[in-house]
Amino acid sequence: MMKLARNRFILVLAVCLSLITLSGCQPQNVPIGLVYCSEGNPESFNPQIVTLGTTIDASSHQIYNHLIEYDVTTGKVSPSLATSWQVSKDGKVYTFKLRKGVKFHRAQWFTPSRNFNALDVLFSFNRIIRADNPYHDVSATGYPFFQSIGFQSLVKDISAPDLYTVTFTLNRPDASFLANLASDFAVVLSQEYADFLLKAGTPQRIDQFAIGTGPFVLKQYVKNEYIRYQRNNDYWGKRTVIEHLVFDITRKNSQRLAKLLTDDCGVSALPKPLELKVANQYPHVQIQQQRGMNVAFWAFNTLKPPFDDPEVRQALAMAINKSDILSVVYRQTAVEADSILPPASWAHSINPTHQGYNPVKAKQILQKKGLTNLRMNILTMPTARTYNPNPVKTAQLIQADLAKVGIKAHIHSNDWRVLSKKLNRSQYDSVLLGWNADNSDPDNFFSPFLSCAALKSNNNRSQWCDTKFDSILEQAKTVTDQADRKKLYQKAEMLLSEQMPLVPLAHSNRIILKRTDIKGVKLASYGGISFAKAYHNKEQND
Amino acid sequence: MTWYLVRRLNLFIATSCVMLMVLFYVTHLFPVSPAVALSGIADPSPSQQQVITQAYSLNSNIISQFIAYVQNRLSGDFGVSLTSHHPISQELFVVLPASFELAVIAGLIALVVGIPIGVLASFNHHKMTQNVIVATTLTGYSLPVFWIGLMLAHWFGIQQDWLPVSGQINLLYEIKPVTGFLVIDSLLASKQYGMSAFYDALQHIILPAVTLSILPLTVVIRITRSAMQNVMSQTYIRAAEARGLHTGQIIIKHALPNALIPVFKQLGVMLGPFASYAILVEVSFAWPGVGYWLVSGIYQRDYTVIQGGVFVVALLIIFLNILIDVIHSLVNPITKKELYGQN
Amino acid sequence: MARIRIYQDDAIPSPTKRTWMAFSSNPFALIGLWLLFVLVFVMLFGELLAPFPPELQDPNALLLPPSWDQSGTVTHFFGTDELGRDILSRVLHGTHLTFGLSLIVVVAALIIGFLLGSLSGMMSGIKSSILGHLLDALLSIPSLILAMLVVAVLGAGLENVFWAVGLALVPQFVRAIHQAIHEELQKEYVTAARLDGANSLQIYWYVIMPNVWDIVIIQVTLALSVAVLDIAALGFLNLGAQAPSPEWGAMVMQGTEHFLIAPWTVTIPGVAILITVLAINLVGDGLRSALSPQRN
Repeated sequence: MMKLARNRFILVLAVCLSLITLSGCQPQNVPIGLVYCSEGNPESFNPQIVTLGTTIDASSHQIYNHLIEYDVTTGKVSPSLATSWQVSKDGKVYTFKLRKGVKFHRAQWFTPSRNFNALDVLFSFNRIIRADNPYHDVSATGYPFFQSIGFQSLVKDISAPDLYTVTFTLNRPDASFLANLASDFAVVLSQEYADFLLKAGTPQRIDQFAIGTGPFVLKQYVKNEYIRYQRNNDYWGKRTVIEHLVFDITRKNSQRLAKLLTDDCGVSALPKPLELKVANQYPHVQIQQQRGMNVAFWAFNTLKPPFDDPEVRQALAMAINKSDILSVVYRQTAVEADSILPPASWAHSINPTHQGYNPVKAKQILQKKGLTNLRMNILTMPTARTYNPNPVKTAQLIQADLAKVGIKAHIHSNDWRVLSKKLNRSQYDSVLLGWNADNSDPDNFFSPFLSCAALKSNNNRSQWCDTKFDSILEQAKTVTDQADRKKLYQKAEMLLSEQMPLVPLAHSNRIILKRTDIKGVKLASYGGISFAKAYHNKEQND
Repeated sequence: MTWYLVRRLNLFIATSCVMLMVLFYVTHLFPVSPAVALSGIADPSPSQQQVITQAYSLNSNIISQFIAYVQNRLSGDFGVSLTSHHPISQELFVVLPASFELAVIAGLIALVVGIPIGVLASFNHHKMTQNVIVATTLTGYSLPVFWIGLMLAHWFGIQQDWLPVSGQINLLYEIKPVTGFLVIDSLLASKQYGMSAFYDALQHIILPAVTLSILPLTVVIRITRSAMQNVMSQTYIRAAEARGLHTGQIIIKHALPNALIPVFKQLGVMLGPFASYAILVEVSFAWPGVGYWLVSGIYQRDYTVIQGGVFVVALLIIFLNILIDVIHSLVNPITKKELYGQN
Repeated sequence: MARIRIYQDDAIPSPTKRTWMAFSSNPFALIGLWLLFVLVFVMLFGELLAPFPPELQDPNALLLPPSWDQSGTVTHFFGTDELGRDILSRVLHGTHLTFGLSLIVVVAALIIGFLLGSLSGMMSGIKSSILGHLLDALLSIPSLILAMLVVAVLGAGLENVFWAVGLALVPQFVRAIHQAIHEELQKEYVTAARLDGANSLQIYWYVIMPNVWDIVIIQVTLALSVAVLDIAALGFLNLGAQAPSPEWGAMVMQGTEHFLIAPWTVTIPGVAILITVLAINLVGDGLRSALSPQRN
């Protein structure tokens, strides 16, 4: 830090001398704020309509609030926009009392005339579940999270007895309902803003030029460059310390690290595990690490022969040396995955049917099936994800492992926008993806990407639908006893290792790099990042 | 002279027309429907579809489609970005000045440093010096720019901690675009931030500008040197010497103006490679200019961005080429005679 | 009958020989030529020279520094990358892709460009003018952008790079040959030949072409260096050769991920590109100055 400061000083001095005729030199005058080097462009600023972590980070906890929140320390739901709630005895009716005096953002594109009330909650959720809502079809991508958990069929009706009370009536009891309402996706939008846009004839702006109640107001988004937020001075909660929040969109991880080292950003997302070594050499850089609730997996397109054969899929799973991936790609920042649920989840149990690395057996199975000269493609993306710091490297390792059992694999690495298009058209043999949990409920690890409903909402990347599996999940949701649920999820895991629609690879830690003087960045095991409580520690500065 | 200018204008229009045809043809090659490739609206509603069909005359024959296309493009309507849904013209307004800023500063470095070196080199007839100059300029010419950018960033940015290696400015500074040139705008914003924003912007531009200036620098040195040698052997220089003028005076007043004409001409020839290099420099240093924007557009298969980027860059190069041509013949009337004969 | 030599008369060297003499008196050009020979040799026999297959991953030797470093080993002379692949072997195999492909592209572009350029050069009037504008328009798109446009249409991949770079090079050849022929056509010796009764074809082949070959040769060296740089640049932008491929530009791109920890993964393939382009430019520069006294 000192060396840096001195060198900068010399440089500034040199520049000053050369410009002495223009003006005198003044001390550094950087505005109070925080720059976060994020990994990519958000698709929109509404988490309801996406599943991409980058979009969630940029919107969910910055711009919006949720009805209820997860308390990271206790793992229980806590009040947010709803101050209290009641559940009926049969577990079908949830009544929320809403917070009063909550103001929506005042932005360049909209000035609210009223405070937050029940109408906003009604609008936010009716948009998702009611096809007759004028905004239902505004989202071209649908509501992937809510569709995959069957939200539409679960919720019978939402009503508002008065302006500060909302009642959700369900068709059946659901143990994960509160957890899903607390997830990053269930944000509350402004009904007044929606009406305003509808009148103006530009409803699609609602997801781009966002208005929420959260701690930061969206100010400007320049694609590939930055997202600028400003402190919400009318925030109902504790006002944030930092006035300006900027997401510096930096796709390359080496550039993110470089920007952190040269002080262009204060917090940097998704470092490669190897870069932690570099970060350790700099005293002004700190590594924040947290066990993650996520899973990286390799999914097969089970609609396409020969991948429609569970035995072939098992053979492919056995051909992969996961410990190699762990040591090369993750480097002690992850645990090997035997199952979908990470060990950090309470529902995790040891999977008795798990098959380890066994290329000999894999080759035998493939030979038996007459697949001696199989060719396949592996889709992946060039950017790091929470669950996988380097998908392309992972793909290359898998490629090498497959070559050992006589399979020729081709890697196609595309940006998310292109990749998701290919996935939706199911033009692939296999894909390297993962899932980052949004809440601590174990159902979040199955329904969103393995259920039949997820297949319809284009989230089931294995294109795999098993009614037996779905009924286990349904059962696990209606049971409330934790021990019983755990058993059911073990059953589901065993079915998965038998069918092998996807190969779980690793459960990665969540890591961010930050400057030592920045404190209070919330990094939970699940969900998006939050800067609401971040501040500069002035004493440690310099 | 008027006739000459009309000819140049004619050339500009004809070339632009051909380029528009090429781009129009390419829109039909993209693996999306022409309506999407032209407008950038990914899932148009029936009413939007109708508007697009009408705007681009998609129901009529190919010629009226082309005319509609040209009308749209020339009126500044490039559709909206497939990824951000912002109008392309609006995005271009943000990224173009950044590219200009980088290019202008790199060009200035090349001229300010290159011409004196070239002049000095032209006087030294020592075999060794000549060899050194040939070797260094050829090496500079052969450097893969993306690689040297990385190396410079590594040495001066990370190892020495001297300069920032990525981006245009610390984003906490919120600079209102006035001229679009951040270095100037940050100076104008000194009321708010003092001079610190300006220094920050200046520090950010040094490495990318130096990297980008390597190619034009080597070319300027080479051309200046050979042009100077050429001019200095002319009789009028010897006449000036005979009259007893001071050597410095001869160089600056008599030789240099004539030696700079081929340098100027070469600038036009260099525009294409320079633009290619600028794209790579922008990507290596995450400089938010047209190149970076265009390459991101390709990664994201953002077809409207690709078209807009290629259109603007190519049009600029055509325009600048002709502009340099015109200026060149204005300062150097001899060439005009040749230009009448051919095109 | 033996010729009696009264004066000491040197045999007048043929133009080719004169060019060679001028060329070989330039040490830089000779160095470049030797480097090119080595490159061609490596390109042809690189696979036999390489100690390891280019995609062999050694999990026990990740990010090993080059042999001259203290912790480096001689088995991996240039060190290894983050998957434990031997960089020397990859660079040797990459010669195929970066240098070999650019040779093929240039030859293909030359053939097409030569045909089109000759046709258009011999034409005159409005047809020639239209073609001139078309070429001007294509040339105004920088070669890298044109290549990127092709990649945007066809998708990334080494086989598409061939088309991308080829398409960017063809206009340059056409333009150079077109202009050279046009220039020669206006000279008086062509008129003289025409007056002698030579037809167009004869004029083209016997009269003009011998004076155009110089331009073609110079253009080939220029195109070669552009092709190498463009192929590498596309690889660097991840639009050309894809991930495991040892194409040099792609190797630089893959190395940037660990640049701070293992700079040699970027430095070495970069130096390979530099040496290749430098060798081509040295030869090209030597040829240009060797040919120029004849032209002027």
